[in-house]
Amino acid sequence: MEIIQKFGLETKLFLFQVVNFLMMAFILKKFLYVPLKKILDERKHKIEQSLLETANTKNILENAKEEKKKLLFEAKNSADILIETAKISIAETKEKIIMEAKHHSEQVLADAKQKAEAEFKIMNNQIEKMSVDVSKKIILRVLSDLFTDDEKQKLISRALEKIDEKIKN
Amino acid sequence: MQIKPDVLFLIANFPVTNTVVATTISDIVIILFILIVNRIISLNPNTLQNATEIVVDYFIKTTKEVAGERAFLIYPWVLSFFIFILVSNLIAQLPGFDSIIFKTSIQKSQNEVPFLKAASSDLNLTLAFAVISVVLTHYLSIKHTGIKAYFTRFITFRVFPIFLFVGILEFSNEITKIISFSFRLFGNISSGEKIMTTMYNIFSFGLPLPFMLLEFLVAIIQAMIFAMLTMVFMHIMTDKQH
Repeated sequence: MEIIQKFGLETKLFLFQVVNFLMMAFILKKFLYVPLKKILDERKHKIEQSLLETANTKNILENAKEEKKKLLFEAKNSADILIETAKISIAETKEKIIMEAKHHSEQVLADAKQKAEAEFKIMNNQIEKMSVDVSKKIILRVLSDLFTDDEKQKLISRALEKIDEKIKN
Repeated sequence: MQIKPDVLFLIANFPVTNTVVATTISDIVIILFILIVNRIISLNPNTLQNATEIVVDYFIKTTKEVAGERAFLIYPWVLSFFIFILVSNLIAQLPGFDSIIFKTSIQKSQNEVPFLKAASSDLNLTLAFAVISVVLTHYLSIKHTGIKAYFTRFITFRVFPIFLFVGILEFSNEITKIISFSFRLFGNISSGEKIMTTMYNIFSFGLPLPFMLLEFLVAIIQAMIFAMLTMVFMHIMTDKQH
């Protein structure tokens, strides 16, 4: 008892301290820990949400990159196919054009040949006519002084007949 | 050398001691602090809220590491012990404690007594804290492990002589807890107070400074020790495996 008195232990003071602490603990819990915990949890939730959103955005970006890569690959493939098709088409068209041109040129050539032959025939006829005329004139001039007009006429007729025969032969 | 608190005056037969006044000041400081924090609390914290959050978060995390899912049952008490002891110890470092003299007619032995004395230098407070800590520990143990498991700690008839002895040891351990809790805090703070008074009496300028720093450290360490021990004991008593 003496020791208790020496340390100043007293029931009233002891109970005061017990009640005081319990009261303070209640106040601290209700007005400090709970609101702070709420704020901490809210902030943690926000951070987690932001991290999740970042991860999602990263995924979307990765997907977009993959998509881009895929599209580029597909586009390249399509372009390659188109180029190949175009090359084939050009080659075919070229061959067709060449064939047509060849055919056309052959036709033109045949036409020209035909025309030339016709021209040649006409010219031949003209030359023939001209040569008859010339021969007639030469004979007339050579024979004008040697023969009479009747003789001349008979001779010319015979000469012409002979020329005709020669030409025909 | 006197180690008990001095009675300043009586209110309805209640002895108001200098430690009771210091306790009330600690209460007011804590309530003001709560009011300020509640007013400024937001998702974008300022320095004060940040500091408070760091302390609260540290205790929540530490309790979680020690006690797992029972942390939310334990941490409010642990943190309350820490805050109250820390505030009352730090307030006792302020000028005015042990130096403002109050004239009283209550005490027969002394007429002039210090108006303020460190709250933790009163055994009534440290004993009250120790009893609350131990009683709460037992209450949480019953609540969490069940009454049967709780009593099995102290009384068991499995291998009679050995486990009966273990039960007695466990029981005496609880008494020791109260004594060690209360006298550790009381001894550290009141001895610190005596050292400071002695140093001020030897030479008031400069000499007490290193001791003030030491007392500042002791104030924080003692609050931490009380809180941490409470946390560990609560964890042990609420754990079903122990």
